[in-house]
Amino acid sequence: MSREAHPALPEFDYIKPKSLSEAASFLAEHVGEARPLSGGTDIFVRMRDGVFREKYLVDIKGLDGTDEIAFNPKAGLTIGAAVSMNRVSAYEAVQKHYPLLADASNSVASYQLRNRATVVGNICNASPAGDTIGACLLYSGVLNVHGTDGERQEPLSTFFKGPGQTTLKTGDMATALHLPLPPKGFVGKYLKLNRNNRGDLAIVGVTACAYPNKDVPSGHSVKIALASVAPTPLVVTAVEEFFQKEKLTEVSISEAAQIAMGACKPIDDVRGTARYRKMMVRNLTQQALSAILVKL
Amino acid sequence: MTVHTITVNVNGEDEIVEVPAHWTLLQMLRYRMGLVGTKNGCAGGECGACTVMLNGAPVNSCMVLGVECDGAKIITVEGLSHDGQLDPVQQAIMEAGGVQCGFCTPGVLISARALLDRTSKPTEAEIQEALVGNLCRCTGYVRIIEGIKQAAKLQKP
Amino acid sequence: MAMTDANKLPSPVGESKPRLDVLEKVTGAAIYTDDIQFGPGLLHARIKRSPHPHALIKGIDTSKAEQLPGVKVVVTGDDFPKRIGLYLVDKHIFARERVRFIGEPVAAVAAVTEDIAEKALDLIEVDYEALEAVFDPVYGASKEAPLIHPDLGDYDVPNFIFPQPGTNIANHFKVRRGDVENAWQDCDKIVEAEFYIPHVQHVPIEPHVAVAKFDTDGTVTLWAASQSPFAQRNLIAKSLGISESDMRVIAPFVGGGFGCKAGVTMEALPVAIASKVKGRPVKLLLTREEEFYTNFVRQALVIKLKMGCDAEGNLVALHNTMYWDGGASTEYGVNITRAGGYNSTGPYIFQNVHTDSLCVYTNHPIGGAYRGFGMSELHTGIEQCIDMLAEEIGMDKVEFRLKNCVKDGDIILTGMTMHPTGLSECIKKVAKAIDWGVKAKPSSPNKLRGKGLALMWKAPSMPPNAGSSAAVKFNEDGTITVGVGGQEIGQGTFTAMAQMVAGVMGIPYEWVRVRGPLDTRYSPYEWQTVASRLTWSMGNAVVAAATDARQQLLEVVAEHWEENPDDLDIKSGKIISYSSEREMSVKEVGIYGLPNENFEGWKGGPIVGRGKFMPTYVTNLDFETGQGERAVVHYTTGAQAFEIEIDKDTGKIEVINAASAFDVGKAINPELVKAQIEGGMVQGLSSAIYERMILEEGAMQNPSFVDYRIATSADIPTGHHIDIVEVPQDDGPWGARGIGEHPMVPSAAALANAIYDATGLRLEGPPFSSEKIYLAMLDAGLVD
Repeated sequence: MSREAHPALPEFDYIKPKSLSEAASFLAEHVGEARPLSGGTDIFVRMRDGVFREKYLVDIKGLDGTDEIAFNPKAGLTIGAAVSMNRVSAYEAVQKHYPLLADASNSVASYQLRNRATVVGNICNASPAGDTIGACLLYSGVLNVHGTDGERQEPLSTFFKGPGQTTLKTGDMATALHLPLPPKGFVGKYLKLNRNNRGDLAIVGVTACAYPNKDVPSGHSVKIALASVAPTPLVVTAVEEFFQKEKLTEVSISEAAQIAMGACKPIDDVRGTARYRKMMVRNLTQQALSAILVKL
Repeated sequence: MTVHTITVNVNGEDEIVEVPAHWTLLQMLRYRMGLVGTKNGCAGGECGACTVMLNGAPVNSCMVLGVECDGAKIITVEGLSHDGQLDPVQQAIMEAGGVQCGFCTPGVLISARALLDRTSKPTEAEIQEALVGNLCRCTGYVRIIEGIKQAAKLQKP
Repeated sequence: MAMTDANKLPSPVGESKPRLDVLEKVTGAAIYTDDIQFGPGLLHARIKRSPHPHALIKGIDTSKAEQLPGVKVVVTGDDFPKRIGLYLVDKHIFARERVRFIGEPVAAVAAVTEDIAEKALDLIEVDYEALEAVFDPVYGASKEAPLIHPDLGDYDVPNFIFPQPGTNIANHFKVRRGDVENAWQDCDKIVEAEFYIPHVQHVPIEPHVAVAKFDTDGTVTLWAASQSPFAQRNLIAKSLGISESDMRVIAPFVGGGFGCKAGVTMEALPVAIASKVKGRPVKLLLTREEEFYTNFVRQALVIKLKMGCDAEGNLVALHNTMYWDGGASTEYGVNITRAGGYNSTGPYIFQNVHTDSLCVYTNHPIGGAYRGFGMSELHTGIEQCIDMLAEEIGMDKVEFRLKNCVKDGDIILTGMTMHPTGLSECIKKVAKAIDWGVKAKPSSPNKLRGKGLALMWKAPSMPPNAGSSAAVKFNEDGTITVGVGGQEIGQGTFTAMAQMVAGVMGIPYEWVRVRGPLDTRYSPYEWQTVASRLTWSMGNAVVAAATDARQQLLEVVAEHWEENPDDLDIKSGKIISYSSEREMSVKEVGIYGLPNENFEGWKGGPIVGRGKFMPTYVTNLDFETGQGERAVVHYTTGAQAFEIEIDKDTGKIEVINAASAFDVGKAINPELVKAQIEGGMVQGLSSAIYERMILEEGAMQNPSFVDYRIATSADIPTGHHIDIVEVPQDDGPWGARGIGEHPMVPSAAALANAIYDATGLRLEGPPFSSEKIYLAMLDAGLVD
């Protein structure tokens, strides 16, 4: 998408391994020269811009459960790395138990793109603007990572390090996302500010949730995650702490919106100014929490 | 440059195609298979002019590699009509006046076909949502949306 | 024109016939330029472009690129010394000596694959010496600015464009009418305002593409996505020293033009490259990113207005200074600024007018023809000022406009007499449709609601002798083929022409064929498909050709029947006699002629009708005063209004209702006219709310759909009421005038006026993004 974007993808070879371990071996043998491929919607754009220059794309779709989505009433939801956003949002258990993720997913780009783009890919791409990341954070998501030294779990809460930067190392492949069963009474809202009505990147995104929690004085937990206003997707812990003592009311919501505004660190870029983004964090946090108040 | 040989079913016909690994499905259709009905508008997954049906789902063919389609079933605009009969989406969008320069039309038709495959009586909002990824600069979308509503009525339940 | 009486429409003229071209478009059979197969010999070109907005070229080393296997030729500006241009001839095909904008072609590679050509670009080394650059037209017009075209005085230029050598002013158009200086004292109220309308791009869904092939005998064929095959042939041939008839331009369907595929932009590049690899076709296909900033864009405008009216609300004086950001080359843009100048009052009568319309060189992308040709930018300023003045004098904004808008017989700013126009009727219809004067309550407490209206006028802006021609010939199966040089770019011109021929000749619409590709070898000459001129100009030529063919048919049959041709007519494809009641199908006569009695010889033969049209009455305008007998051929006028709500939390605009009315003279195909109004309004809204080329130091920051947003299906208003007004044009076919550009012209102004109505805020200019509106409300204390 840059001025000097090439007309087509650079030359690379396409590798279709038969298993995740075969994929892992290939990645280990070609450090810095190979990249795992799932939906491709972020990779192809970066390649045409000359940013990604790998000689091999290793297709992990369909390997060892990467294209499976499954719900267990006790353990929760497991979304394979290759499961498209449309499949996720259409999955009955997602609509029933994780509607916030369905809403967030449905706000991405276009229906066509969502047939290829994946939730796990959205997470690994680690753009601060990633639409589904807020929901996955608030659902306490954990990534399954297949690395050169075996499998490990990466909680999303510690996964993001900077724009496009995560705890993934060369040779790692995220193979699935696990979302535990949400707490009883969990309600959520995703508000996304676009420049036009649909299909845009989030200029500002506010994901909010609340659920009854007898372990805190106020009786409920409230959390928010912000998109596009910090180097990473931003969980505003100050808001969570605030609502440990305060009940959700119109007054406390206004105060929380101010806290959120104070916590975010947006920049000026071609999509918006920091000043506008800060105000929108405040206003959309207010709206999101008010919507949740009604639902609780 | 590595060239792969794949088999793919396109518009009902099984084909064997040789395609460079780094070519998109769009390039493969247009430059290896002579199927120039599907258009190149942006190569970035934004404009939807390249939309085709891949295993029943509408996708931007510029964001799919040709090699990823080994064994896949693809429908392009050329495959929408059957035995000389236009698909209801072609007939209705044409009659509603939803075609001007025609460049976005192949992609629009696939998105419309896919919508009516999954929702037989879509609402106006559902139609608009389904078309968000198909940019049109000529029509202002009004007659395309009207055409899809008519197509929903035309097609057998 | 006896054949085209506005009061007598012969079927199918005036009917909403189905389009001729859409079946092939919905089946995927329609061929566009990138679809044409050229076989394995095709070479692919890629362009090496300037990374600097303004720099001297110290040296270019192409040797490494030439050696890359698969590369067939590398060219630079050294190979092509002559300039090229439509009006002011100021451009080179490849930069010579200096580059003037980021993206300017400096060199090119043709190779056996696009990948190899792309790789070869990195092997071309260009040594630049950066020069001080100009990014603002006001500064560019000042004495302090460095000169971007020091040789301006040497450029070929027609006698109606006035460059100022020794400056960056490529054209200075003046209007001096009455005595503005002294007229202010006669004004009861005066308003002043300055607006900035930024660069936007056409965004055709089909990117530019062209293929050129030289034969070894030196003749060349160009296949191009083109609105203007004849103009492209003319300009490119001149620049390369080729005789026009040795160059052939073939133009298949165009996937959207909006002006960007008019004139010559990238088409000269493959022709130039191909001249160095004779016998091989060379294709250049732009990326979407290149489409955004390397070809044509719409010039940005700084417009400074001062206008005054008397106590009764009559407009008295207008001072209008416009600085057009012409970009690195103004070969086409100079005429936009001329049009801006001679239309600079908008559709109103001021007794005193002082206009300076300056086309200024900057180191920005090249300003070219864009739907509206300066009118959208101009009206965004004028119509806001009119609103402001109406408010100052305490008059309703619609009443103020009805009072002052141009009417039949008025003398407009250039001294031309206005022809009959339905502008007042358009205003009334739009005001009614939008429920003007009724202030509706916002739909919820966090919304602000408002209505805004704007008028427009536009004339085809073209040289005084822009001509059309047409031919009508028979096919053996009785169908008629119409040869035209005007292009189907989506507007439906092939359909309208078929209707006209069918109507004139009395044959069924289904018997008429109007098809591309256009081919300068065979198609009759047409100046360009621009300016909303085809229905009127090419229509006249087509009517003349059909009339000619009809007359030839009647004469042959009359001779055969020994009757008077005046007693004959053609109905439903049959030649009939009113006196003898005999009849004969045109099929029998069109090609083969008719045998004499007892086959003692034959009469008639293959019938070819020919026609032309060229306006003969347009005059030049005085350099000092802008006055002249007849500045333009005619005006299409109209009005548009929006009702909007603004979200107080985000600044987002929702267009709840829209209304448009345009005087098209006569709607040859009403549904096609409506389709232009629908599409034009959405493009107008899109450019008014979302679109801006974000240029920093001459570099476009948002050259992709990710960050250059255009309206999607989810962005259209809930309702759009359209009225077609018909006040016939004296020399149009059945009174018809054009409509292609006009529906997007008033949109930004109407929206700005609606925003003011809702918020009391007037902003510097479009795009009226949520951010711009929200921060303005915040700063004004409307929200906190």
